[in-house]
Amino acid sequence: MTYKVTEDGNISTIFLDGEIDMDVTEKAKEIIMPLIEAKKEVHINLKEVQYMDSSGISVLIESHQKATEMGTKVILKEISKSVLKVIMMAKLEQILNLD
Amino acid sequence: MSISNNLEDKIAETRDFVVNSASLKEVRSFSREVFERIEINQDLKDELVLAIAEAAQNIVKHAYKGIENTEDKMEIKISLSKDNELEIGFFDKGKPVDDAKVRHRNIDDIKPGGLGTFFIQQIMDAVVFREGEKPWINHLILTKKL
Repeated sequence: MTYKVTEDGNISTIFLDGEIDMDVTEKAKEIIMPLIEAKKEVHINLKEVQYMDSSGISVLIESHQKATEMGTKVILKEISKSVLKVIMMAKLEQILNLD
Repeated sequence: MSISNNLEDKIAETRDFVVNSASLKEVRSFSREVFERIEINQDLKDELVLAIAEAAQNIVKHAYKGIENTEDKMEIKISLSKDNELEIGFFDKGKPVDDAKVRHRNIDDIKPGGLGTFFIQQIMDAVVFREGEKPWINHLILTKKL
């Protein structure tokens, strides 16, 4: 997994690339959580994520819940077909903020 | 359901992997290689790869919980019978799995974790744990009629 972060005012956009599994979840959290803790609105762009497993979904849930706790939000952007399928399999399409 | 050791299987591929999270990528590559030889649609291939990777992840996370830097290997066997019954066997030497405790969380209780087993059960027709034959401790069998 590789990533890039861009800033636009209070919005931080994280562009993730590659496959997100148990091996990279800690790295993903290290990227996402400090931005949420800084009360940024975090956009996670998933266009280039070709694979995500339950560990990756857990990171999305944790990020969403942390953002709610901090009074901000996480929005998932340009979700790839394969990731959307896993989100729907987990019945999270009504819970997470999808754009 | 039969434990696949049938010479008449259309496909029977076995590979072992070191039990750690870095191996999960190799598990997916192996699964994709095998499924390239089976005429099923890409969506189903992706689902099967996910189920296999989740089961392998469960071995790393649960059977080897608290055991880091092990050199132990897990073995994965993918076989397809002539009547298109897909069987995926997982063998490991970790802590014995208590079948009764292998449950996914309530899917409506939104929290991180506990989804891997749910995905496996959604994708596969049957999930069966057996005691492994020596040298294995655990033997998980996933099956699906293709």
